[in-house]
Amino acid sequence: MIIRELIEKIEGEAELDFTFNEGKIEDVQINFGFYRGMEEILEGRDARDALVITPRVCGICNHAHLITAVKAIENGYENAGLKVALSPKAKAIREFTLSCELMQNHMTWFYMTILPQLEKLTGEISTQNYALKASYFSSTVTKAMSIFSGQWPHSSYAVPGGVTCDPSYVDVMQAENLIDECIRFFEEMLTGLSFEKYLSLNSLSSLGSVEGDLGKALWLIDKNEMAEAGQSHDRFIVLGDSVLAKPGKAQATKVSNVALRYVEESVQTGTTAKAVSYKQKLYEAGPLARAIVGKEPLVKSLHKRYKDSIFTRVFARVHEVATLLVQSKKLLNALQLDEPSCTLGKMLEAVDFEGEAAVEAARGSLIHKTSVKEGKIENYEIIVPTQWNLSHGNEKEEGVAVKAMVGSKTIQDATFIFRTFDICSVCTTQ
Amino acid sequence: MASQKKLKLLWLQSITCNGNTHSFLNYPDLATLLSYFEFVYHPVIETPYTIEEVAKGKLECDILILEGSFREEGFTRGRVEVSKIFTAYAKRAKHIISAGTCATFGGIFKAYDPEYISGFIFDGEERTARYETYASKLISLPGCPIHPKWLSYVLMMLLKEKPIPIDELHRPQELYGITVHTGCTRNEYFEWKIDSKGFGLKEGCLFYEQGCQGPYTRGSCNKILWNDTSSKTIVGTPCFGCTEPSFPKRALYSTKTNMGIPATMPLGVPRRAYLTVTGIAKSFKIKRFEERIITYDH
Repeated sequence: MIIRELIEKIEGEAELDFTFNEGKIEDVQINFGFYRGMEEILEGRDARDALVITPRVCGICNHAHLITAVKAIENGYENAGLKVALSPKAKAIREFTLSCELMQNHMTWFYMTILPQLEKLTGEISTQNYALKASYFSSTVTKAMSIFSGQWPHSSYAVPGGVTCDPSYVDVMQAENLIDECIRFFEEMLTGLSFEKYLSLNSLSSLGSVEGDLGKALWLIDKNEMAEAGQSHDRFIVLGDSVLAKPGKAQATKVSNVALRYVEESVQTGTTAKAVSYKQKLYEAGPLARAIVGKEPLVKSLHKRYKDSIFTRVFARVHEVATLLVQSKKLLNALQLDEPSCTLGKMLEAVDFEGEAAVEAARGSLIHKTSVKEGKIENYEIIVPTQWNLSHGNEKEEGVAVKAMVGSKTIQDATFIFRTFDICSVCTTQ
Repeated sequence: MASQKKLKLLWLQSITCNGNTHSFLNYPDLATLLSYFEFVYHPVIETPYTIEEVAKGKLECDILILEGSFREEGFTRGRVEVSKIFTAYAKRAKHIISAGTCATFGGIFKAYDPEYISGFIFDGEERTARYETYASKLISLPGCPIHPKWLSYVLMMLLKEKPIPIDELHRPQELYGITVHTGCTRNEYFEWKIDSKGFGLKEGCLFYEQGCQGPYTRGSCNKILWNDTSSKTIVGTPCFGCTEPSFPKRALYSTKTNMGIPATMPLGVPRRAYLTVTGIAKSFKIKRFEERIITYDH
């Protein structure tokens, strides 16, 4: 028996075809609809126009597209023989603004997807306005980022050689204050613990002291007997280099090196989304992958008990906010404003180059590849994180999210598992 | 806070990146605004109806908010063609707001299939066949994305039933009567025709080399600051003209010039007037504008 379910409020929508056998889900076909042609829109344009066009792939991870696009151009310049050396200041500012976008995304997902869906699933409906909590955190952290990026969404402030902003210490102070406000939110709303106390948690058993909205979510997952649900291949990939993790892949606890050339994209039938694999194997991307590859102690402690279940996956994404808050403070504190913001004076305009880059976006590794002839884009390729998690799979194995959903007894449970991957429909159907 | 009956908002999407949705969600005064309105449907906020219920076209709504580029056929929401859903609610609603450049003019996604993709009521700056039917209800809010305060202003004016002065493209004059150049922190450099010596500097105007479209782009980005804090030009990024029917143009980080003079003049300024002023301004060398504003000692 196949049941078709429309999933909405995932930055667009998707249709899932669930195949049931003896009361359990045996297979899931994930279908995304409309293709917007982003890669074609870029063809024939100036190489740097990608810095304005690609953020418009996605309203929620636009900044990650900007940072990936600029790195792909810089990689291309280097391949064409131009040395690109960013100042530590420009590098840190880019890392800071990208970190802010990740935090914005995670908290929006937690408050607007996970909590309301968990409440529906368990029948524990509260009168809380989670959207306003999401909005408060999100507007605070995107304000901090806009001090450098000018705006969010859709900034284009990263250019080859650095950033366009030239901040003062007044700007830095404002950003620090806003990050402190985010920490206060983390303490008072999210965890009910002082930030110091939260950061000292080091084991699964110590999680019992977490209260606030995170404590509630973990309790609801447990109450619904879903703590072990949603396990998949237990295989993870990180291709971008970030403050969270170095590139690498992990099979259970074994971490090894990765290279972009082994990433393969393939067309799938029945959907506009392309599949992506690494040496023909399917990997989970995103915060859980970064925590496992980066050997984050608390997430590893949960993983030891629950493997790659929704409990670990949901926790890893929220926990990443804490790590990013710590890193953001460090990045801001270390800024030396007398360093140059941009080290490339003249851009390589009418040249040929091929460049590629991978960046850790909110949902995982994002890849851009640009081929430029006489300064114009001849071909542009974008591989988004959701493709890693939502591929249907190949002859040998099921896709990551598909495997996580298989075995569920109800469509409600399965779609909740689906949402724990933080699906982004618009990215997937660029 | 709000005692009167809340107005019903219906937020629908077609071909979009969700940028306007998220820009709106980042509005610091969202709680206050939402105390006056209720969402019948919103693409990310929890609302009482599913998209499939919305798609039947039978719900009540006072204000229809549209996001995304439009095409007659081939794009569905809740398994129904959006053109059908949009039309059903455009007829029912008292007001229509096109939120963002895509919904207003066609925007970035129009570039993929210019013949079939447009805004709902305008195609670029041309009126579509729908104009006659819906023009009396329409407020255009172009921008990629919209600023949440622009939307908030329109919603509050509609709530209070106050008139909103608009231009020929139905853009509120309060928001689009000025250019992005208005209020830019680099104005002094523009006055004296001092170009920025590169990216990443506080000093210099971006109009001459870096492609800034601020002087001829309608918008209030430097008056109503982004995220209540900044703007593209403040942080040294050129304005890309994202509120205009022509967005996105090409070669966005460099200024097209004729004989060393920007090819596009500041809005409404005759070329001869511009050249005269430039000639005078450039004949003086003013030391302060050649120097860095802050010098760090070691």
